[in-house]
Amino acid sequence: MTTSDIYSTTYDVIIVGGGVTGAGTARDCAMRGLKVLLVERNDYSTGATGRNHGLMHSGARYAVTDGESAAECIAENRVMRTIARHCIEPTDGLFITLPDDDLQYQDTFVTACRNAGIDAQAIDPAEALQLDPAVNPDIIGAVRVPDASIDPFRLTVANLLDARLHGAVTLNYHEVEGVVTSQGRVEGVKLFNKLDDTRAEVHGHVVVNAAGIWGHRLASMAGVDIPMFPARGALLIFGPRINRMVINRCRKPSNGDILVPDGTVSVLGTTSDRIPIEAIDDMRVTREEVDTLLTEGAKLSPQLTRTRIIRAYAGVRPLVASDDDPSGRSISRGIVCLDHAQRDGIEGLVTITGGKMITYRLMAQAATDAVCAKLGNTAPCTTADRPLPGSDGPAKGLDDDTTRYSFAQRAAIGRHGTLAAKCDSKDEIDNALVCECEGVTVGEIKYALKDLHVYNLVNLRRRTRLGMGNCQGKLCSCRAASLLALFHHDIRRAQTDLANFLDERWKGMRPVAWGDTLREAQFTASIYQGLCGLDTAINQQQEQDNKI
Amino acid sequence: MSSTIIIGGGLSGLTCGLALAKRGHNVTVLSGGPSTLMFSGGSMELLGAIDGQPVTAPLDAIASLPDCHPYRKIGAERIADLAGQARELLNDVGITTAGDATANHWRITPMGIAKPAWLTLNEYFRIDNLSHLPIKKIALMAIRGFFDQPNGMLAQGLRDLGFEVKVVEFTTDEIASLRRSPTEMRATTLAKRLLSHNALQRIANQVNSLSGDAELVLLPSVFGQKNDDSVRLLQDLCDKPLRLVATLPPAVVGMRIQAQLLHYFMMLGGDYRTGEAATGGIIEGGRLTGVTTAKSGSPVLTADNYVLATGSFVSRGLAADARHIYETVLDLDVDADEDRDRWTHFGVLEPQNYWTYGVTTDETLRCFKQGARIENLHAIGSVLSGHNAVKMGDGTGVSLLSALAVAQDILAGK
Repeated sequence: MTTSDIYSTTYDVIIVGGGVTGAGTARDCAMRGLKVLLVERNDYSTGATGRNHGLMHSGARYAVTDGESAAECIAENRVMRTIARHCIEPTDGLFITLPDDDLQYQDTFVTACRNAGIDAQAIDPAEALQLDPAVNPDIIGAVRVPDASIDPFRLTVANLLDARLHGAVTLNYHEVEGVVTSQGRVEGVKLFNKLDDTRAEVHGHVVVNAAGIWGHRLASMAGVDIPMFPARGALLIFGPRINRMVINRCRKPSNGDILVPDGTVSVLGTTSDRIPIEAIDDMRVTREEVDTLLTEGAKLSPQLTRTRIIRAYAGVRPLVASDDDPSGRSISRGIVCLDHAQRDGIEGLVTITGGKMITYRLMAQAATDAVCAKLGNTAPCTTADRPLPGSDGPAKGLDDDTTRYSFAQRAAIGRHGTLAAKCDSKDEIDNALVCECEGVTVGEIKYALKDLHVYNLVNLRRRTRLGMGNCQGKLCSCRAASLLALFHHDIRRAQTDLANFLDERWKGMRPVAWGDTLREAQFTASIYQGLCGLDTAINQQQEQDNKI
Repeated sequence: MSSTIIIGGGLSGLTCGLALAKRGHNVTVLSGGPSTLMFSGGSMELLGAIDGQPVTAPLDAIASLPDCHPYRKIGAERIADLAGQARELLNDVGITTAGDATANHWRITPMGIAKPAWLTLNEYFRIDNLSHLPIKKIALMAIRGFFDQPNGMLAQGLRDLGFEVKVVEFTTDEIASLRRSPTEMRATTLAKRLLSHNALQRIANQVNSLSGDAELVLLPSVFGQKNDDSVRLLQDLCDKPLRLVATLPPAVVGMRIQAQLLHYFMMLGGDYRTGEAATGGIIEGGRLTGVTTAKSGSPVLTADNYVLATGSFVSRGLAADARHIYETVLDLDVDADEDRDRWTHFGVLEPQNYWTYGVTTDETLRCFKQGARIENLHAIGSVLSGHNAVKMGDGTGVSLLSALAVAQDILAGK
């Protein structure tokens, strides 16, 4: 299908937003036989999807305060273990009580978990320390719950791949600049293609707004107001990984009380601050956020004070004020699906927002149900029963004889599940490691370039974890940039791409630039600027561009 | 004869040690591990850029540096004299270079960028004048499966400079056997494998048959970790002139410079202790009277003079926690911003303040602790404040020249 074919097709549904909710909605719609287009203005999973803990909640965190959300979480937790196995590390979690906390809360907590259907077991603190020696040794209570670690990038890609297998078209770097309306109906979107600076109008019977916190902008293009209340959360990544299990504080949800093991690293979060809607694009982490997280994190695991902080990042939760109370005092943390025909008299527009990463599939189902109702489609939702690509077979190399597989093969199987077979490994060049921290080979990069919509190094990082380990792309980014340059036949672009990648890595390092992180930063600057002169190259390019 | 302990065994520490040992001094060098020579591109830089503009005459440009720069403390005239000495000293240890402190030439980086340089090792590619290229046609020999040299960028950079470049991929039995491992294809492992006459002959055969009508053959710097014997042999076996281009680290050329400096230092009777990093010291009456080391059971080491050559953050001479920047061995006074937000800048390619941090010194590069000068402790190299190796291209120059200046002062009994 050529780009002009893509633009000239009329779709049943156009989904705006390439986070996990949009991807899940595209999959559900496509599996129910609809003609689907998904558009994303940046790369897939650049918003809240790629900016959270990577925690697959058991629901225990919400059990005391929001039993309904807790029940949704545990149900979806079980679904994910079957359909998205390759995106998950089944670590289980601990809710620990510290001497400063009220041990009686633990009883309330366990009861609430059981009421929500969550298997929560109070265990001896000594047993908890044996299960995960990273836990603060001062604990006076511990509860084991079925939390897990999940890779949101991988989960999003798996949903997109399945949507495409079912006929959906997905486009990243396509920004919606306006909606096409006619007589109070939304009939399509006006797109700007950022890859080649072209514009197009694409038509569809229904538009689904799955743009997360940016969804209020899309809604306002259609003349609809959605009162969003952005809640910003900052997180820190520590490396190498210190904990085996998810470690939570057994108390009412608060700052810095979750530590998630995530592949080769540990992620600590989060803070929670209401921010004005104008501030949602500023993802810089503040000094106060870092200091708060460090203070609280040390209580979960004192080991954190001796572990390198690799980077800091922040995301914005798309919370929505309930319609009967626009002041924002009663904010729904649950799933919000708005049919704007009923709510605002605008036909052809559905907004799906709120919710949590772990309930993305339910959100997708709600949105798809709303779309299908409009189109008269009665096909049932099957997304909970059919495994995602990558989880549709035995997870070779992880469960069985691991000695048969190299570090990189196991890493690739971990990332892509059964699709790892698509990574070339026919000769020694394909098997050569580009990123040594995360075990990314030439073959895996070739696969990502071919099948996973990779245009630059940041895309490649999200698809493969290249440059996400301890060294934050110190050497591998140059190797990968060279490979991309050969693939795209554009050397100058490779240098700007490399500079952008290093800048993106640095944005996360700067708020925590001391200790070994500052050393790594000086090391990287010595290589790319001192030795290689990348800064000179970029300046020369800019001077030439200015002349033109 | 008086004795000196040098804390740090990189470019500055070894250079200072050599200069002292040559004059019969009793010198001990305490080395804590690999040095920043691993970033070497085959050149020494005295002063490459000021405010982002390339410097053509580095000695003349010293006058426009701020007073806190180590060159200004040493003095421009003395720098000119020491620059000559540095070149001679490198020559003595077997590192022959071309270049002149009065006028920079250009080195070619692994990404094909021309950067100003003071001295370039003879077998490395350099260009004296970018407006008058001495040759036109280059064959860039790219090792198949070697990812630590970005050949595409290098070729494009050379073409932008006006060369005609043909990229020729090649391999040999020795090289291909290394690639069978997913991680072993590094410049340093190649250099260990490519030493024998046979291995080099096979490379020369490829060069001779594939380089076509090129006037010059460029190869990645994967030859000669200890000396230039293999490069010279390879040149003898090739029909055309060869030059090397640096790779991503670890740099073979840096290991070679380290090895040759060390070899000569030992020949002169110097005492070089690897894995014996200094961990602290005793300061009494404004003097350092001894240093302790990481080696268990080792006694306090004493000498008349001490030199701090521990490097910057990369080499752990400086360190930072969430609240302050500090010097790691003796907790000496440092020139650094107190506010953490001022250490760095948002843009990765912008100048970062922390690059210029280092220990506070007086005009003779003597150190301070809690405001009091330590009479027999000098600092040299990257641990000094007031210079910027990344943006100003003064790292190797400061290392070599501060080392020689301090050696002179110690010899003169100052």
